[in-house]
Amino acid sequence: MQTYDIYLVGVGGQGVLTIADLITRTAFRKGIPVNYYPTKGMAQRGGFVKVQLRLGSSEVGPDISEGGADLVISMERSEALKAVRFLKTGGEFLLYDHRWNPAAVMLGKAPYPDLATVWDEIAAVGGKVYALSDKDLPAYEGRPVRDNIYVLGSVLAQTKITDILPLKDMEETIAARWPKVTAVNAFTLEAGEKAPLLAHP
Amino acid sequence: MEKMLLSGNEAVAYGALAAGVKTVAGYPGTPSTEMIESLLKMDLPGTNVEWSTNEKVAFEVAAGGALLGYPTMCTMKMTGVNVAYDSLISIAYSGCTGALVIYVVDDPGVSAGMAEQDTRGFALISDLPVLEPSTLQEAYDMTKYAFKLAKAIQGPVFLRSVTSLSQSHGVVEVEPRVLPETGHPLMERNMDKYTKAGAKICMDQHQDLLNRLTKAGEIIAADGINQLHLGAADGAGVIAVGVANAYLKEACQKLAAAGVDVSQLSTLALHNTLPYDDGDIEKLLQHCSRILVAEELEPFTENRVILDAYKLGKKVEILGKNDGTYARINYYNAETLIKGLCKLLAVPVPESLAKRDIQPEAHCAARPITVCAGCPHRGTYIAMEKAIKKLGLKKSDVFITGDIGCTILGTTPPFEVLWTEVAMGASIPLAQGVVYAGTEHPVLASIGDSTFFHAGMPGLVNALQHNINLTLVIMDNYWTAMTGMQINANTMQSEQIHGWHALDLEQVLKGLGVPDLKLADPYDTEDMAAKLADSMQYEGVSVVLARRECAIQARRRKVTYTPVKLIAEKCVKCKRCITISGCPALQFEDGVMKLDPTQCNGCGICTDLCKPGALVKEG
Ligand SMILES: Cc1ncc(C[n+]2csc(CCOP(=O)(O)OP(=O)(O)O)c2C)c(N)n1
Ligand code: SF4
Ligand code: SF4
Repeated sequence: MQTYDIYLVGVGGQGVLTIADLITRTAFRKGIPVNYYPTKGMAQRGGFVKVQLRLGSSEVGPDISEGGADLVISMERSEALKAVRFLKTGGEFLLYDHRWNPAAVMLGKAPYPDLATVWDEIAAVGGKVYALSDKDLPAYEGRPVRDNIYVLGSVLAQTKITDILPLKDMEETIAARWPKVTAVNAFTLEAGEKAPLLAHP
Repeated sequence: MEKMLLSGNEAVAYGALAAGVKTVAGYPGTPSTEMIESLLKMDLPGTNVEWSTNEKVAFEVAAGGALLGYPTMCTMKMTGVNVAYDSLISIAYSGCTGALVIYVVDDPGVSAGMAEQDTRGFALISDLPVLEPSTLQEAYDMTKYAFKLAKAIQGPVFLRSVTSLSQSHGVVEVEPRVLPETGHPLMERNMDKYTKAGAKICMDQHQDLLNRLTKAGEIIAADGINQLHLGAADGAGVIAVGVANAYLKEACQKLAAAGVDVSQLSTLALHNTLPYDDGDIEKLLQHCSRILVAEELEPFTENRVILDAYKLGKKVEILGKNDGTYARINYYNAETLIKGLCKLLAVPVPESLAKRDIQPEAHCAARPITVCAGCPHRGTYIAMEKAIKKLGLKKSDVFITGDIGCTILGTTPPFEVLWTEVAMGASIPLAQGVVYAGTEHPVLASIGDSTFFHAGMPGLVNALQHNINLTLVIMDNYWTAMTGMQINANTMQSEQIHGWHALDLEQVLKGLGVPDLKLADPYDTEDMAAKLADSMQYEGVSVVLARRECAIQARRRKVTYTPVKLIAEKCVKCKRCITISGCPALQFEDGVMKLDPTQCNGCGICTDLCKPGALVKEG
């Protein structure tokens, strides 16, 4: 079976673990070997979170090597930089361009990278960038939708993950996980599939 | 057999249930916590599962059941072994009739703080067998096997895992639970075994212990737990321990794909590190001219290989930590193995697998963690600063020892009031030592409730007996929060499960005879600061019990406080609220202050900091 490694990063509270969990459940249902390894830090939110997902082999260790991930998903612009090292040369990188400012940045005491810098670092390892803007996040009945499901929709529309996990299976996993809010989740996933991609600034 | 999606910790829990475990006791600690947590979520009549006061207590509780002949288990993070060790080594010498399994998770790469220690060092000193699973399925299978082995040798067995294995999730095949036996406890009153009365008893026990270890080695060899594969004679060999085995397979696949011939390698896959598998190691030494040893952390196996080679009188080049191929810190991955294998085979790392010369992290914004929005500890740190000011002192004048838990976040910005983080309970005796060493100004210690009961009480008793001039702040948030909100002795009665009882910390302190005891609410920083300043001037032991529930738990339990609102017109953008409180619910973006209502719990700490009155309680 084809192996496929995914490295996910973001900030605690952004739903990074949920994206990984949905992919894991879908793989499990399809009988695809999967190893899901979250590193979530302490009880507090707002810290760096990463998940390593290894699909297609039951004999792999949990940690992905540098330059080993077929796909990186980042939910935050600055944290994306911590994942670049793990992207395969020529791999795919889905970046949700959202800023979660650390306090020092808010107070103007520390710098924060711009999108072009992050993009160029990914391009430097031959990465193919798919960037979404948080400004395009749609609303459903007047409330902004969950950005992690939106991002997942885009991942499924843009990247090679669909060779292993078709969109339809993901829809089923999501519906089974939150049976009471299927309409909004279906809307969000579809909006993510159609989400406009940013151009290099 | 049922296929389930389980974490390594859960796989161990299911393995223990399939072994008919009677008692499971432990103390929380990342990366091992979910083992007991998953059991506590199940209905398990006949099995006792508990969070104990500390790891030593947990070990003793488990050992008691094993003395009566039942399978029992205790669990802890690697640091817990330090705490449990006094009893652990004693029971190791005694042996026990029931199967006693000690499940410990080491943390190579330090995902959760504390010393990056290797439990096998402890196992060496206490001559106990160590089993080391390398995959999730093995975590389950080897747990069952650990009980079998412990029963067969009549002594404790270590089941050692590492963070990456215990924290990752995958498919595991599990069998149904086996109900624990009941009704025929062994009432064995055996002084030669269960006391240490005299040199003869102790030395006999030592010899018995060594015999048990030898026997364990024989059983493990007979059961084929380790796998030796011999490739080309006089060629290269690899010994891999635990998770390194999975990375060895991955590395070989990658190297083969890159055109490096790895087909002739000899390999020894170790799933048991102690007793040393000298038989297989010697066979490999006889067969190979070069051997790579891949094991995370300390080179215990590698050192043994060197010793075995010396005893055989065979000249074999051994690559590992002693020759600098590997470091003794951090975790492994396939890259680690690729590097070692290429050196072993004397080939360059293939271009496609070579490290790229990049530094993307250089542009990354630092993201230090701080306490949650509404965390009571925030109030304590602010009150400490205020109290120091009230007494006309500076932060650099007042030594405040910290302890372990969310309580330690006072070491980081914006608070920076705590000076040390040593070990559970160390804050109080350390502060006493600082007092003895002589400081001009008041000395404080700070500790959480779980940590106080875990190992803080002896330190307080000591300070009380010797009438030390220090102030202890107990940051009582009712939960063992840092590790994910476990119940402890101080958790309110309504949240205790299985008929457990809550202890009242205030009564405990009164019972100890603390001469100056004050209760404070950390949400009221001004009042708490006044009390603290007063206690800091007290001659003798003073304790401030700062009580307020962990904000995360309070939210889960639907405890609500009057909301706080931000009156934009009144805000002068001084950013004092952020600079002093660091509350994540307060944000300054695009030139305006914002209050995130989804994070703010209405603790009100910031309202006191806002001079123009832009942050106020509603209504
Ligand atoms: C010997 C040892 N056991 C367990 C741990 C893991 N651990 C770190 S903090 C903590 C809990 C602290 O709880 P508490 O003192 O109540 O403080 P809180 O996190 O609730 O503020 C635990 C169990 C450890 N570091 N060392
Ligand atoms: S988990 Fe609880 S105790 Fe820990 S920082 Fe958050 S609110 Fe405070
Ligand atoms: S009241 Fe102020 S300090 Fe407390 S949680 Fe809300 S914003 Fe943060």
